[in-house]
Amino acid sequence: MVAAKTGRRHFLAGLLAAGFIPKPSWADAGSPRFLAAAARPDGSYVLCGISADLQVRFALPLPDRGHAAAAHPTCPEAVAFARRPGTFAIVIDCAQGIERAVLSTPAGRHFYGHGAFSADGSLLFTTENDYEAGEGRIGVWDTRKGYKRVDEWPSGGVGPHDIKRLPGTERLVVANGGIDTHPDSGRTKLNIATMQPSLTYIENGRVVQDVVLGTAWRKNSIRHLAVAPDGTVAFGMQWQGGDVAPALVGVHHLVKGVRVLDVPPDDVRRMQGYVGSVAFSNDGARIAVTSPRGGVMQVYDAKASRFSHNIAEPDVCGVAAMGQGFAMSSGLGGIRHIDDRIPYATRHSDLQWDNHLVPVVDTFV
Amino acid sequence: MRPTYLSFALLLLPALAQADVQSDAVETILGDHILPGFEQLAGTAQNLANTATEHCDPTSQDLKVAYGAAFDAWVSVSHLRFGPTEVDDRAFALAFWPDSRGATPRALNSLIAAQDPVVASVADYSEVSIAARGFYAMEFLLFDDAISRAGDAQYHCALVQTVSADIAATTQNIYAGWQSGFTQELRQPSADGTYRSTAEVSQELFKALSTGLQFTSDTRLGRPLGSFDRPRPKRAEAHRSGRSAQHVMLSLTALRDLAARLAGGDAELAARLDARFQTAMSQLKALNDPSFASVADPQSRLKVEVLQQSVDAIRATVRDELGPTLGVAAGFNALDGD
Repeated sequence: MVAAKTGRRHFLAGLLAAGFIPKPSWADAGSPRFLAAAARPDGSYVLCGISADLQVRFALPLPDRGHAAAAHPTCPEAVAFARRPGTFAIVIDCAQGIERAVLSTPAGRHFYGHGAFSADGSLLFTTENDYEAGEGRIGVWDTRKGYKRVDEWPSGGVGPHDIKRLPGTERLVVANGGIDTHPDSGRTKLNIATMQPSLTYIENGRVVQDVVLGTAWRKNSIRHLAVAPDGTVAFGMQWQGGDVAPALVGVHHLVKGVRVLDVPPDDVRRMQGYVGSVAFSNDGARIAVTSPRGGVMQVYDAKASRFSHNIAEPDVCGVAAMGQGFAMSSGLGGIRHIDDRIPYATRHSDLQWDNHLVPVVDTFV
Repeated sequence: MRPTYLSFALLLLPALAQADVQSDAVETILGDHILPGFEQLAGTAQNLANTATEHCDPTSQDLKVAYGAAFDAWVSVSHLRFGPTEVDDRAFALAFWPDSRGATPRALNSLIAAQDPVVASVADYSEVSIAARGFYAMEFLLFDDAISRAGDAQYHCALVQTVSADIAATTQNIYAGWQSGFTQELRQPSADGTYRSTAEVSQELFKALSTGLQFTSDTRLGRPLGSFDRPRPKRAEAHRSGRSAQHVMLSLTALRDLAARLAGGDAELAARLDARFQTAMSQLKALNDPSFASVADPQSRLKVEVLQQSVDAIRATVRDELGPTLGVAAGFNALDGD
């Protein structure tokens, strides 16, 4: 290991001497497969790079609790977002382990914790709250100008949370959770009585499509997203009604339309009204959703549009595609690679893994 | 009982005892905490509506007393946010707060300015903006310097009467919901019911306790505290009527009762919880500051911060010690997801 590193350093030194500087790539950051925010035992917060063998490759300090991160499509650069209602995001050079830039929301805005890059990585899009107006915004940042804020678009709803780019396009999809909050009331939900979640598609700052479920689903906050190679969007919801959630997972396709996936009542109950993360398998055939409250990951069959099976895991929340199966992370410190129902590998750490496990490079994007 | 049966019974005892303790707790929480609370709310709200038909002038002492009694009754059950309170957004129709963007005064001002005839019917009024309904809207009508005097006196009177009657109808519907079936859901969990086991019922009640404490800490205390550099006394709950501290006391009193009943099986834990509640309530009493105006003064502000810390200490005990006894997942993500 040490020898290999030295060898590489010599190689780089040789290149430098020759006046030839290669552009750093994700390999220079120890080739992490995933990024994840975590809490350390001492109560401090970090953003970690996690390798294919589920080892922590780097752990960079964050000033406060993180949520998700966005990985630049080509450079070893990631943006770690504060958990809502945080106002910072940190651009991290994952190869050198240094902070490149700090993004701060403009006055009257806070981040929701998610972001996405344009296909070439030149722009970063962030979900934000214009909290005096109670309207969702998409912040636009130019990565080539040191992450300068260059524009702001309406998200097409209230409480935009997750944002993803459809593969092979510049079309963004946004989960407008529908829940209005204001920093002066912490995380108190202000509009459950009137909430209207939606899924919006945005291109060049314009909402090109707005998807809502029927009235009976008005209290199902559309919160987290995953995209399949064919552009199908899976969404995980969080139920705000006073009773048992009817279902918590849906899919939308620009041509095929929207569909809530079938699930037996006992299985939807197990989720306790809460989906923390959602991911497609690499082949797009399965959808995994997690519920830390229920201590369970559930796998859906995307083709049949229905529930498939449960995998019990206490405090599980992060999930991402891995090989034929999924990687999942828990607040108790475990990361597990699971293929169908069989666990392949498990790593334990003293870190409490936070909400999301973010793939560094979506192979199909 | 023969010895063989006895030993078998002893083996089963811990599991059975645990289930019994939980279903006994549910029974007493229903009989002594939930039902009397909603009965009190429906009764005092009806009295408010009756009083308003006689005295609709915002300066009427009778009206203010009736309003105060009904609002007290609401705050004392405001943590019980499941079942009948959530049907048709009844709880929000009674309590639209916090109102960060001033939707309540805006909605009332626009009704008054337009002399909107919707106030003529209680049924129609239930269709107006939810921000113009309930106890917090009523507070503006009775106590806000501008809105209590705004518009035509006759229109203002009709508004007071209709908002009161709407509150009475909503609270009656909640109480009826509890009487006509939801009580049974808690008492007899079943495979196709709202709750499938007594453990699920206990977890619902636990959630009511923990979110009630969170609301009191984050919102009832956190909003006026704001930050050290920017305290926000005008954001205190019901500060116009000087009820802010009273609401904290009422909520702590109700939550203390619920906590004691949930911890009933564990005398040591119950005592620890009770001591924590006692600390917070004594600190609140010593503040002697009905509307939390003192948050703006650096010296006295500290006392409100200490009170908030005491409520957070109750929350920690509830989360770390009571939760696990009721089978509530206590993980990093489970407790505080996003």
